[in-house]
This record gives sequence, C-alpha cells and structure tokens, in this order.
Amino acid sequence: MGDSGKPPRQPPREGPDPRWTIARREFGSLRKEKTILLALALQLFIAAFSSFLVVGLVSLYDPGQVEGYEVDVAVTGDAAGDLIRASREVRGVDAQFYRSEETALRAFHEYDATGIDAVLVAETRDERVFVRAVAPDSNVQTTVVVVQLRDVVRSFERAERADRAAYLDDQPLELPPEASSSPYFAFTYTVLLPLLLFLPVFISGSVAVDSLTEEIDRGTLELLRVAPLSLTDVVDGKLLAAAGLAPVQAALWIGLLELNGTSVSNVPALLALVAAMALLICGVGAALALLAPERRAAQFLYSVGVLLVFGGTALLPNGPVTAAARLAIDSAGCADYAAVVALVVTAVVAYGGVRRLVNGLDADDL
Amino acid sequence: MKRSPREHLSAIGRIARWEVSRSAGIVDRRTAILGAFALLLVGAVLGGGLLAGGVALDRDIYRVGVDAESPYHEPVERSVALDAREPSPDALRDGDVDVLLVDGELFVADTPKGRAALSEFRSSVRAFNFERMSAEENGSAAFPVVTVLQYVPRSASLPDDAFAEGDGEGGSGTGDGGDSGGGSDGEAAGDDDGGSASAGSSGGPLGVPALSGINPLSSGGSGSPADIQPPFPFGSLVLAFAFLVPMNFVVQAYGSTMLNERINRRGELLLVAPVSPGDIVAGKTLPYLATMVGVTALIALGVGGSLVSIAAVLPIALLFLAATFAGAMFARSFKELTFVTVTVSVFLTAYTFVPAIFANVTPIALISPLTLVVRDLQPLESVSPGAFVFATAPFALCAGVLFLLGTGIYREEDLFTQRAVPLKLLDALDARVSRPRDVAVLSGLSIPFVFVAELLAIAVLFALPVSLTIPLLLFVVALVEEVAKSLHVYAAFESGTFRRVPRVALVLGALSGLGFFVGEKFTAVAQVVGLPELALGQAAFAPSGIGVFSAAGLLFAPLALHVVTAGLTALGAMRDLRWYAGAFAVSVLVHTAYNLAVVTYLG
Repeated sequence: MGDSGKPPRQPPREGPDPRWTIARREFGSLRKEKTILLALALQLFIAAFSSFLVVGLVSLYDPGQVEGYEVDVAVTGDAAGDLIRASREVRGVDAQFYRSEETALRAFHEYDATGIDAVLVAETRDERVFVRAVAPDSNVQTTVVVVQLRDVVRSFERAERADRAAYLDDQPLELPPEASSSPYFAFTYTVLLPLLLFLPVFISGSVAVDSLTEEIDRGTLELLRVAPLSLTDVVDGKLLAAAGLAPVQAALWIGLLELNGTSVSNVPALLALVAAMALLICGVGAALALLAPERRAAQFLYSVGVLLVFGGTALLPNGPVTAAARLAIDSAGCADYAAVVALVVTAVVAYGGVRRLVNGLDADDL
Repeated sequence: MKRSPREHLSAIGRIARWEVSRSAGIVDRRTAILGAFALLLVGAVLGGGLLAGGVALDRDIYRVGVDAESPYHEPVERSVALDAREPSPDALRDGDVDVLLVDGELFVADTPKGRAALSEFRSSVRAFNFERMSAEENGSAAFPVVTVLQYVPRSASLPDDAFAEGDGEGGSGTGDGGDSGGGSDGEAAGDDDGGSASAGSSGGPLGVPALSGINPLSSGGSGSPADIQPPFPFGSLVLAFAFLVPMNFVVQAYGSTMLNERINRRGELLLVAPVSPGDIVAGKTLPYLATMVGVTALIALGVGGSLVSIAAVLPIALLFLAATFAGAMFARSFKELTFVTVTVSVFLTAYTFVPAIFANVTPIALISPLTLVVRDLQPLESVSPGAFVFATAPFALCAGVLFLLGTGIYREEDLFTQRAVPLKLLDALDARVSRPRDVAVLSGLSIPFVFVAELLAIAVLFALPVSLTIPLLLFVVALVEEVAKSLHVYAAFESGTFRRVPRVALVLGALSGLGFFVGEKFTAVAQVVGLPELALGQAAFAPSGIGVFSAAGLLFAPLALHVVTAGLTALGAMRDLRWYAGAFAVSVLVHTAYNLAVVTYLG
C-alpha cells in the first residue's frame, strides 16, 4: 500500500465504525491498483474460453448439434439389409448398400467422389453377426463418424437381440426415447457455475493474506498503533473488505448467466453459500498470515490448503461444489440447504476463532 | 565492465545458492507445524471424500419420479446424476421431478433441464441393459453383434492398395469377451485383416492406468457395440494435467521472492554488487527452474512419460516463470502480484490444457505443448519433430522475450518506483529501445506472442461456422499484429527517446514493419503440422504470405502492408494517446481489408 504515509485519521468520536474505515481503505487500494478489473477480466476469460471450447467439443461428439451434417456409410455383407434398417433409427446417418466389400472400400477411398465416410461390413457366422467398422484415420471428422457408427451398431444390436429374446433369461429394458439435449447443459451447472462462484472466494482469500502480510512486511502495522484502532479492528476491516467482494462478484456472474439464458435458481442460498465460504477462507487466510513468519510461507500454505480442501470437498456427496450445482439447477434437497447452514455455522465459528487468535496477539511481535 | 562467461556463471551460481539457503531459512518450526496440520486436514477431507464415493460433480442433479417396484428404479438408483423420487402425480407439475414414470408412461418436463434429464436417463438404462446382458448365460443371444473398429488412413492417390497398408493402426478392440462363445470369435474377426484389432483402450503397454471408473466412454471388453470408444484420450489427459499442478505453486514462491527484492529497497545491495542484472535474475530463477524440472521428471517417471514429455513440459515451465517474473517486475504490491500470478496461472493452464483435449482430433490441439505429452503417453501415438517444434517453440520464445523485457527494468530507477502496470509495461518496452533499429528488433521479437494470440483465436473460433469466423479471425489477426508493431513505438515516443517529428515517425514505422515482416517468416513452422489445411488456419496465415504466394513479386506485398500500417500508427503515436488510438483504428481497418482481399482472391 503506497498510501501508508497518510496522517492517521482523527479519532472518531461518534463517527463510523473504525472497521469500516479500514475496509474502505482496502477497497480504495484495490480500486486504485485496478487489480479487481484484472480479476474480473480473468474470470470472463475462463468463462468464455471454457464455454467456447465446450461448444466445440459438443459439436465434435454430437453431430446432432451440427446442422445439416450427415455421415454417409457404405454397408455391405449378408446382414447389410438388417443393418440398414437399424440405421434409420439414428439421426444424421445415411446408409447405402454396396454389393461387395471391395466396392465399398473403393468408395471409402474415393471420398471426394462418393462422399462415403465409413464402411460397415456385416457377416453372419455361428449365430452372431460380425460387424467390421472402418473409420477414417486422423481426420477432424473421425470422432463424429465413430460416434455415429457406434449408434448405428447399437441400434442394430438391439434389433438382433430382440430377435433372440426367447433365449434370454432377463429381457433388456426398453430405452426411453431419445432427447435432443445439449450436454453443455449439465456442464454449465456442474462445472462452470461452481467455478465462477468459488474462484472469487479463492481470490478474496489471497487478498486477505496479502494485505495482512504486506502490512507486517512493510512494518506499517506499527503505525496503526498510533491510530485509535485495535489489531482486531484492522483484521476485521480487512476481512470485511476481502470477504465482502466474493458474494458481489458471484451475484454479478449469476446476473450475467441469467442474461445469457441460463436460469439460476435459489440465488439467495447460493449467495449465502459463497459469503460463508468467503468468510471461512478469508478467516483461514488471515490466521495463516498472522501465524506464518513470511509471505511466501503464508501464501504457499494458503494456496495448497485451499486448493486441496476445495478438491477434497468436491468429493463429498454434499460438499459445497455439488451443493452449489444442485441449488443452481433447482434439484436441491434438504441435505443441500443443511449443507449451506452448516457452512454458515462453520464460517461464523471460524471467524470467532480468528478473533480470539487476534486478541491474543500483540501487534509489536508481528 | 566486461567479464568472462565463467565469471558470469560463478556469479549466477553464487546467487542461486544464496537464494536456496535463504528460502530454506524461512521454513521454521512454526511453518512446519502449520504445514503438517494442513496436510493432516487435507488428508482427512480427501479420505472422507474418497470413502463417500469419488469425484462426481453431477451427483443427483436430475430427479426422476419412479416407483420402487418399477424395473426402471434400479437404473435410476445406480446412476450418479439421477436421483430417484416418489412418483406422485403432481410432482412434475410442481417442479419436484424432471422426469416422471407412472404406470409405464413417461412424462418429461418441457424444459432444457427435463430434456437433459431424459437423455441422462436413456444412457443410464442403456448401461444397465449392458450389465444385465453381461450376466446372461446365452452369450450369442445377449450379444448377437461383435464389432471391430479399424482406423484406416485415406489417401486419394492409392485407392487400390491403401487398405492393405492401412491397417495395424489399432482400433477399439473386440477384446476376449466375458461371455461363453465370444473369445475365439473376436479373434477370428481380427484375423481377417491382418490382426488390426489390437486392444485400443488407454490401458496400453506403457503402463498408463485406464482410469476406467472416471471415463464415461470406457467399459470392459466384450465385443459389444457398447465398447466402441470415440478417440478421446481421457486417461492421458488427466495425467498430463498432473504436470501443470505443481507449477502453480512454484511460481507463487518465485513471484514472492522477486517482489521481495523490490520492497523497502531490499534489492539495492544486490544491485550495487559487481554482478549484472541478468546474472541476478538468472541466479534467482535457477533454483525454481531446477525444482520444476525435478518435479516434472518425477511425474514423468510416475506416469510413464518419456523424455519427450519432459522436453515438452519444459517450455511451459519457462513461460510460467517468465510471466511471473515480468508480473513481479510490474506489480506494485503483493496484492497486485497475486492477481497477476493467478491470471498467469489460469491463463496458461487453460491455454495448455483445453486444446490438449482435442489431441487426437484436430491439428489445432498442437498449439499446446501439453498435447505432445498426451500423445506421448498414448501407446500408439508418436510425436513428429515438426509437431514438437510447432508446439514448443512459441512458448520458449515468449518466455525468452518476457525475461528480456523484465531484465531491462531490473535497475534502480524502475525496481523501487510505484507505477501502474500498463505504464511499467511501456517502461519495459522503452528500456529495450535506444536506437531506431531496436524498433525493428522488438517488432520481430513480438512474433511469438502474435503467434500464440492468433492460435488462441483460431482455437476459440474454430467451433463456429466458417463463414462467420473467417472475417472475425482476420479482424483479430489485424488487431493483434498492429498492437505488436506499434506499442513499443508509442512507448519510445512517450519517454522521449526519439524526436517527435513526422520523418522520425515514418522511419520508425518502416523499421517496425520490416522487423515484423522478417519475424513473420518464421511462422512457416505452422505448415509443418498441416495447420493451413484447416480453413481457419489458412485464413490466419495466408495474408503473411505463407502457403499461397508463389510469385516473387507478391512476396513483398505483406512487407508493403506492414510498413504502411506501422507508419500510420507511428505518426499517431508521435502526437499523443488519442491520436495513437485513432491511427491504430485506421490501420486495423486497412490491415483487415488487406487480409480479406488476400483470402478472398488468392486463398
């Protein structure tokens, strides 16, 4: 903080809470350095990059997403008729009968003239049908072609199995109808939204660690002794500024997602979750900053701890990450609300712990 | 003060040793206890999480109302993403379930979520059927179809014998089959065409774990069509990510130690010592680079990567360090540094990791060195030297340029002053410009960044329809190239390095254009990996004369363009920021028009 040389403020008699003063000063320094803009730009980049690429990925794996693209398949062999019939169930596939394997493969190699993307050779032997699928190697369309071939052969397998139903002990269940749904839908709620909600929390915690270690490092914490502030006030003010930023950013992202056509449910619960998480993480960060002797150690402990704890809680069935996804997609059960309440309680308890720790510390020793 | 290389080396070694001993000094007992406590906590959380059932971000996100007696209850129960609820008739209307199954009839909520839930339901029933059929005794009735998938290269020139030489590439295998009669049959099918049906799952001979629990597309081998895997290197991808994780931690410590020198004028003593700034930077960087290389080697050993993996990760490590170093030189406070390092980490992680997902699909994936790692980890893939250079050279060069810029302002007047990051960037650029010809050199040096930015644009845009993306891409290319050609000219004018007269501005612009033109020729490496075959790749690189111009007269068209536009921006930069912005907009338009013309008429 470059403005540490400012004369200390007049002691407020009945004026605002000194903690607000500290928080305002923190905001001021964030604004002045324009770092908050960098953080927002970063989150925007993540959202844009991952969305764009997932859309790309989806179009590669689900040809239904690409309008007008059809996979032409040359079908040959003695079971070709059944296979062609089965292929009609699959969207985006045009199966054509070829008399022999040789002509089919020739058509496959003369792609430009025939438009054949793949070859299926179906031959019956020993009560089974052997299907040999030939797909082009290392080609941008390979994935789409393979996915389509799989769907054709799957549909064929279902039909063949139905013919042999008499020999089966258990009948396979009838498949529910196909739905034209984008796999991107689940991604938005389970990956993108939690990422956008919790990345600000992580950054806020870092800010809390930095702003405390920096005061210690530059020796400016001693100046605060002449101001009518206790160390607790200073830490409180810094926590307020850092932890207050995260829910605001989260609300901003939720608003942007809404504008983008992604409806987010249970917004108050989500914001409470983010706020509790932010208080908890910033509290842990502040405690580390006060206990660890140097910034490098504090930052390292903080980032290892937080990343692994985030990763670890993602494994829990009702961890903050999955709870956030279920709340946002409107599938929340009681357990998810309980998780939010538990997290709020944990955050408050942790905050109490940090206050006790700070009360026991002497600013001169830092 | 001229010194021999040996003296330089010994100075670097001394500073590196000092850096190591000082860093070791901060790990006191309190930090160690805190660290142990953190590890214990993390262990407890991870252990608890693993006991509770592994990673599942989509756990219970859709609700299906299904009766406990229904045959469909079991597939719903087994699916991770589906949650079985009571099938009350009103549940669907109240929004308590997304899919409702009552008395054999299926109702689906008419929302995107309902459709997504139905699609998930369908795939879980399919998986359930597959398991049920695996338990059947009559193998030929349960799995009446045996499938072999082959990948055959398609060369238009050899229609007759292409098939004969084309196999042996490996495919999604039939495997040996868990059913009674399937084993020998699968083999017989493979024999037909020269045994090309080798096992193609990711659990190959190089010891890459299959990670089948996580991969939604893989399952055991039975020859059923359900086993066909689209080419998606999931396991290798997860392992490749392991290379990136430690880097994020190392750069944090590195950024701190660099910024530490700048706080309370601590670095002053080192500056007055008889060593050059380059030695100081090299010495302080060396331990961190060594750590990264060591960790990378350990990981490579652990996951079965070869030397190629290590060599491919090294440029990523260098760029991580270089970007953090530049960030630490520009930042005013630790807070700002944290933002810079987080930005760098996230950007580089996304930039290297996301394209690697497409490692087997498109040449665009090669913009990331991590793609090389993914290919290296796969049993049947290999990395060609051209692809290696294409993927790693931009990273290595970017790292070099960033170190060069940062070292330029590793001097007293810059280290201990507080200026906003953009101004520091201008200072760093200006520090490298003292004579007019430096302008040309700096333009040439900007090429790796331009290359990376353009590749990034291709990667982001390639999913969209070509008719829309090509004009957009050409605009982005023009934007990026104009920034690269003019920013240092503006910096030099601002600091008063050159006189603000039109003649000087035109000379500088011409030099900048020339430097850029020469540097641009090195992007020819893009041809090596076949990027120009893609429509977008062609659009991005054609205007610079790669792959399209055969006539010698046209060879110099890009030179003329660069000289003209750089001259324009230099004239603007001579006046002030507003003029610079105006001139910049005009030259971007000129450049875009030129690009469009080239792509339309010559492409």
